[in-house]
Amino acid sequence: MQDAIIQFQLDYGYLINPLIVGTLVSIVCSVVGCFIVLRGMSFLADAIAHSMLAGVIAGYLFMKVLFGQESHLGGMLIGATLAGILTVAMVGLVTRFSRIKQDTAIGIMYTGIFALGSFLLSLDSVGSLVLIDIYHFIVGDVMAVKTGELWLLAIVTSIVLSVVILFYRPLQLTSFDPIMAASIGIPVLAVEYLLTACTSLVVVSGVQIAGVILVVALIITPAASAYLLTDRLDRMIVASAILGVVGFWTGFLIAIVTGSAAGAAVVITMTAFFFLCLVFAPRHGLLADWIRKRNTVPQEIMEDVLGSVLRSGDGFVPVEEVLGYISKPNIKIRKSIDMLERQGLLDVQDDKLKLTKDGLFEARRLVRAHRLWETYLDQTSVPKEEIHSRAHQLEHLQDESMVDYLDDKLGHPITDPHGSEIPIDEKRVARNEKVLLSLLREGYRAQILEKKVCQEAIAIEVGQVVSIGKRSEDGTIWTVVTDAGDILQLDHDQADALLVQIVEN
Amino acid sequence: MIQSGQHKPQTRSTGAARPPAIEVEDLTVSYGPVPALLDVSLTIEEGKLVGIIGPNGSGKSTLMKAMLGFIKPDVGTVKIFGSDVAGIKGRVAYVPQRGAVDWDFPITVREVAAMGRYSYRRWWQDLKQQDYALAEEALVKVRMSDFADRQIGQLSGGQQQRVFMARALTQNADILLLDEPFAGVDAATERAILDVLEDLKNDGKTVVVVHHDLATAAEYFDLLILLKQRLFGFGPPKMILNPKLLGDVYEGTLRVFAELERQGAEG
Repeated sequence: MQDAIIQFQLDYGYLINPLIVGTLVSIVCSVVGCFIVLRGMSFLADAIAHSMLAGVIAGYLFMKVLFGQESHLGGMLIGATLAGILTVAMVGLVTRFSRIKQDTAIGIMYTGIFALGSFLLSLDSVGSLVLIDIYHFIVGDVMAVKTGELWLLAIVTSIVLSVVILFYRPLQLTSFDPIMAASIGIPVLAVEYLLTACTSLVVVSGVQIAGVILVVALIITPAASAYLLTDRLDRMIVASAILGVVGFWTGFLIAIVTGSAAGAAVVITMTAFFFLCLVFAPRHGLLADWIRKRNTVPQEIMEDVLGSVLRSGDGFVPVEEVLGYISKPNIKIRKSIDMLERQGLLDVQDDKLKLTKDGLFEARRLVRAHRLWETYLDQTSVPKEEIHSRAHQLEHLQDESMVDYLDDKLGHPITDPHGSEIPIDEKRVARNEKVLLSLLREGYRAQILEKKVCQEAIAIEVGQVVSIGKRSEDGTIWTVVTDAGDILQLDHDQADALLVQIVEN
Repeated sequence: MIQSGQHKPQTRSTGAARPPAIEVEDLTVSYGPVPALLDVSLTIEEGKLVGIIGPNGSGKSTLMKAMLGFIKPDVGTVKIFGSDVAGIKGRVAYVPQRGAVDWDFPITVREVAAMGRYSYRRWWQDLKQQDYALAEEALVKVRMSDFADRQIGQLSGGQQQRVFMARALTQNADILLLDEPFAGVDAATERAILDVLEDLKNDGKTVVVVHHDLATAAEYFDLLILLKQRLFGFGPPKMILNPKLLGDVYEGTLRVFAELERQGAEG
């Protein structure tokens, strides 16, 4: 057993440091990445990564010349962090005091500082002092991590994670609503610099794995994937960290097995995860979006189907007949029939359709809206040949009070301009409810519950039961017959003034 | 470095001793070479419902940001209840313009409403059960409690506006600033917002609203601020909404002609 462990350590021990480092770095990168993605600072993170080169060289030279320390990681780390902050400060300065926009300023600054670094490095006098493997710096080399560096990275990780936990609310609020943050005394600019400092630190540690060119992917790719997965910031941070770690391990193992560059393999894996999230994310994914679009049948089509079943008469109607009624048949009709059946509005048997009780109610409501609109449009300047199609659009308006308004304005008409009957307002004319007498049609019997004040007195008392008779004068005069046999003629205002309860019909 | 915005609710003292709610003095703000506000001075007494009107780009939002202490003026001061706005924490609540909010931000209705309690806790402290209870109460008041777990992007425009109203209510500030709360909301929301504003006024709060609709300005507000970089007028609607003054500020855009006619017709 003992032997086996020693053998295992001999064989695979060299993987332990890289795996620990990679895990720490990917957690911290993807956590800070959440704020960077939400604040739209991705490009800035990229800039910080590139400008690091100058900072690393400065830190290296500083430690070597003053203290004689060769490639002192702490010195380089501090140098890189300062270079990152300097870049951000310069970008801020240029944006503020010139007409140059921020993205351009970022582009100028980071290439400039990066160039400064590579210029210095290419000078013989400096180049001979600085013994950095520039290739590893650019593409990263997680396998080369030493134990000392591991400790340093562990410290950086814990500092950054504590900052994010401690400053969670200031970071959240300044990202979401900086104006409110300022008004409750959070120093918005200081928080921004704090986040920038954290970004510089995580970029510097991420470079160990992926190098300056790819390090941004460790920061933003897991965070952006997590952003697609959830609608809450705390969960997004956790999801991002998990995606980061799993992405690193998977990529790293692929690199070991295939003998490829670890940084590249890790970034490829994370990018693949991103595409998986992009397609399969439960709410914001493309697939979910597509299914949602496919499953929603436009309300208008469903309503058209109901209306045409109603117009086709009583009993079961063959589907073909319904299709014939709808001016622009399309594939969604089948789906809307299914949908209506599921909603309990249609009864479907062997390709024949029948309205259920609820369906009948709904269909009458639609036909009523359509015919009222037609009656109204007939009185406006809308050309006669357009009335039907306009009414067809307008009947789908969801606001019921609009239809009630039309009905009242038109004097509660019984027929539309084509002479077809306008269905009664079933919703308002329900039993056990107060209803305007004006809404009732011939044959209804109702008890007067309330008499509102109106211009002309009405010779009828509360409590009396009346039968509604035929309307006269083009439907503008209501006739009611009291049980005593008195016949009353009411105009629109009077009929509206009487609130009744239906006794029978 | 970061101070918490804790503040104690001030006890109502005898009216005369209490300094005015908002005092703006000689305020000039510029963005680069372009002045946004020039020499604006005004004093808003406590308990007033004030509208800020003026054409697009007239500095309405800038004045509001200055009252929040979000921008440093080039010249002048803003005082809240007698002390400089920079030192004021959480006594001014803010409802942003709808276009200024990132509606894709991963945050729920409840979390936004609870933000109003941030100024009562130190920056490293978590919110407590009681804070969420107060947020819930405010959501009930604006009739949004059924949507507490929704992400804010999945709401209608009017509902979104009401969530931020709830946040301002949770904050229980003495002064409320609202940036175009009536822009593009349905009638029900407009009514709901007005009711809340009335309630706030009756509680003695001071409310300042950036408003773009001249037609409703007189009906909604006690006082109007007419702004176009400079202060063109500050007073009761009757005084501000006169054709001469509006003509100066709006410089004969079509809308204003219609507005003037309406004003004329009403006398």
